[in-house]
Amino acid sequence: MNIEMRDGGSDFFAASKFLIVDDFQGMRSMLATVLRNCGANPRSIDSAATGSEAVALLRRNRYDVVLCDFNLGPGQNGMQILEEARFRQLIGPGCCWIMVTAEKTNDVFMSAAEVQPDAYLVKPVTESILSGRIQKILARKEAFVEIDQAIAARDYQKAVRLCDERAASDKANAIELLRVKCELLMQSGQTDKARASYEKALSVREVPWAQLGLAKTCVMAGALEEARSLLETLVDHQRTYLEAYDVLAQVYVALGEMDRAESILERALSLSPNSHVRQRTMGELALRTGKLDRAESAFRKTLSLSEHSARKTPDAYLGLAKTVSSKANPGEALQLLEQMGKTFDSEAVRLKAKSVQGLVYQQNGQPEKARAVARELVGLIEQGDAGLDSTVTREVAELLLSTGEQEKGLALLQAEVMNNPEDAAALALVREVFRKTGLADEGDELVERSRQEAMEMMNAGTLLARDGHYVEAVTKMREALLRMPRNVRLLFNSAHVMLAHMEKNGADAALLQEVRTHLLTANQLAPGESRFAVLMSKLEAFGKV
Amino acid sequence: MLPLPRPDATLFLASSVHDMKNSISVLLANLQSMLAQAGPEHSGIYQEMAQMLYETQRINGNLIHLLTLYKLGNDLYPFRLETYEMKQFAETVTSRLLALFKTRNLGLEVDVPEEVYWEFDGDLVDGILVHAMNNAANYTHSRIALSIQPAEGALEFRVEDDGDGFPQRMLDEGVAAMRGVDFSTGSTGLGLYFAAVAARMHRSHKEEGSIRLENGGRLGGGCFILRLP
Repeated sequence: MNIEMRDGGSDFFAASKFLIVDDFQGMRSMLATVLRNCGANPRSIDSAATGSEAVALLRRNRYDVVLCDFNLGPGQNGMQILEEARFRQLIGPGCCWIMVTAEKTNDVFMSAAEVQPDAYLVKPVTESILSGRIQKILARKEAFVEIDQAIAARDYQKAVRLCDERAASDKANAIELLRVKCELLMQSGQTDKARASYEKALSVREVPWAQLGLAKTCVMAGALEEARSLLETLVDHQRTYLEAYDVLAQVYVALGEMDRAESILERALSLSPNSHVRQRTMGELALRTGKLDRAESAFRKTLSLSEHSARKTPDAYLGLAKTVSSKANPGEALQLLEQMGKTFDSEAVRLKAKSVQGLVYQQNGQPEKARAVARELVGLIEQGDAGLDSTVTREVAELLLSTGEQEKGLALLQAEVMNNPEDAAALALVREVFRKTGLADEGDELVERSRQEAMEMMNAGTLLARDGHYVEAVTKMREALLRMPRNVRLLFNSAHVMLAHMEKNGADAALLQEVRTHLLTANQLAPGESRFAVLMSKLEAFGKV
Repeated sequence: MLPLPRPDATLFLASSVHDMKNSISVLLANLQSMLAQAGPEHSGIYQEMAQMLYETQRINGNLIHLLTLYKLGNDLYPFRLETYEMKQFAETVTSRLLALFKTRNLGLEVDVPEEVYWEFDGDLVDGILVHAMNNAANYTHSRIALSIQPAEGALEFRVEDDGDGFPQRMLDEGVAAMRGVDFSTGSTGLGLYFAAVAARMHRSHKEEGSIRLENGGRLGGGCFILRLP
C-alpha cells in the first residue's frame, strides 16, 4: 500500500507477493505469465488448484494480491475461500482479492457485503486490464484507510465527515464514498440524514443502490407501503438485484403478506439458488406458514451449501429439526440436534437445542419427556442470566405453555413484550405463540397490557428528567431496567438520563461504569444504533475531564 | 416407442458457451504470446497467426454477446454500474486490440480528455466497443480512432475509421437495431443488436443509452457512436 503505482505499476508488481487459484492448469500458467509481464518476480508467484491448497498457502504466507477463479469444481468455490480467508484473518486489509470468472454471473455477486472481493474480472485477463484494476483497487483502499479506522473505532460521525471531505476532491471514488456515507448514516440510525443523502444521489443518477437505500429508510421509518412501492418498481427494473428481493420479502413479512414474501423469495432463489442465507430465510418463512415440504427442502439445501462456509450458523439445523419433527419424524430431528451440538459448542446453542428438543418430544407424543426438558430449561434460565434471545424465549415459552408450565411461560412472554414494546414484528410473533398454544384471547390481552405497562415505565423516568428531577429519574430508570433488561430504547434513555444527571451534578465513577454497561448491552442487542455512537462519545468525554 | 424427441438446445446454451469461453481465453492468450515470440520476420506464419487471432477474438466476442443476451433475456445478467476514469477505460478496451492492430499495421488514435469519470456497466460497454473496433479493423484503410467526450449531460464514445464508410444497408440496420424491430426476419447482425440492447440497459431520469452509425467523422470513414446518459 505504501508503494505507488508508477509506469503502469511495475514497482508495485516487483515488490508484491501473488497467489493464483484456478483448477485449470492452462489458466494458472496464463495468469502467471500476465503477472510476470506486469513486472512480478516469478519467485513471488504461488499457485493453487483447489480451495484447500489455497487456504494452506494463505496460512503460510501474506499475499498482496490474490487472483482467484470463482468456479473451482467440487469443494470450496472462490467466494468460500475468500470468506474463510477473511474469517480466519489470513489476509490483511491491504490485500487485493480479485475474483476471476469466465462470465459475469449472479452467483458471483450474491454474497454478503462483508465477503465481497475487491474486484471481479471476466476472462480473458490481459496485462493492461489487470494493472488497471489493481491501480483502481489501491486508490480505493487508500481513500478508505482513515474512514475504515473511524468505523472500527465506532466513530460514525467522524467517518461520515471524512467521506464528505474526501468526496469533494476524489472524483474517482466520489460515488463509492457517497454510498458508504449513506450506509454509515443508516447503520448509525440517522435515517433522516440517510434519506436526504440517498435522494441527493438519485437526483444525479438513478442508481439501484440509492433506490434500495431509500426504500430501507422507509422501512426504518415504518413507512412500509412506500417501501413496498419503491421496491416493487426496483425489482421490476433491476431484475437481478437480489438484495432488493430480500428487502422486499422482509417488507411483505412485516405487512403480513406471507404469500407474496414467499413468491418473491422463490424468484430470487430461482435466479441464484446458491445463497445459504436466502435458502435459510425461505426455510424459516415456509416453516412459519406451515409449508413443511418447502421448509424441509430449503433447510436441507442451506446445510449442503454452507458445508464449506466458514460462517455457517446453527439456525439451519434448528429449522430442519423443527420441520422434520412437525412431519412426525422425531428420530431425525433429535439426530440433527445432536449433530449440531458437535459442530457448535456454546451455552447459547445448547439452550436452543434443548428448547427444540422439548418441542420434538411434545409434538411426537412424549409429553413426559417434554415436561422434563421444560423443567430443565426453567432451571437453566433461573440459574443464570442465560441471555435468551427472542427466538429462544418464544420457543421455550411455547414449550412451557404446552407442557402445563403456564405461569413460567407467561412470564417469559411478558418479558419478551416488555423488552420490545415498540417492535410490531416481535409482538406479532408473541401473539403467534399464544395462538399456537390455544391462548389467543388471553394472549392478546396480555400483550397489550404488558406493552402499555412498558411504555408507561419507560416514559416515567424520561418525564422526570425533562423536569430536572434527575435523582428521581435515575431511580425510576433503574426500576424499569429490572423489569426490562433487554429493552434497547430504555437502555439508551437510561444512559442518556444518567449522563445528564452527571453533567449537572458531577461525575461518579460507579455511575459512569453503569452507563457503560447499559450502552454495551444496547449495542449488543441492536448493533449500530446512532445513539450508541453519540452517547459513547459523551461518556468518553467524561473520562477525559 | 416414445414420440420423436424435440431437443431444446437453449438448455445447454449458457453452460456450453461458458465452457467454450474458458477454452477460448486460453487460446487467445497462447496466440498472443506466440505472436509476440514469432515476430514479423517469420512473415508467412506471422500473417496466418494474425488471422487466427482475429478470428478467435471474433468468436470470443460473439460468444460473450450470445451469452449476455441470453442472460439479459432471462433476467440472469447482473447489471452493475461502476465509476470508470475514461483514460484508463480506453486503455483497457484498446489493450484487447493492440495485437490485432499491430499485425495489420493499423494506426490507433485515442482521444480522451483528462479527469472524466462516468458510471456504467464496464463489461457491457467494453463488449460494445471491442466489437465496434474489431469491426472497424476489417473495413478501415490505415487508421482507427477511439474518442470519448462528455456531450450535453451524456457521454459519447466514437469509433471511427478511414475506410469507405458503412453501406446504406448497414446505416439502416443501425436505426433498426435501436427501434427494436423483429430480428427474426431482419438481417441485423448479432453485434449491432447486442450494442443496441446493452446501450439501452443504461437509463436514468427517463433517458436511455443509444447507438448510431454515421459516415464521415474525423477520419472520413465509418463512425460507430455509443451515447450513455
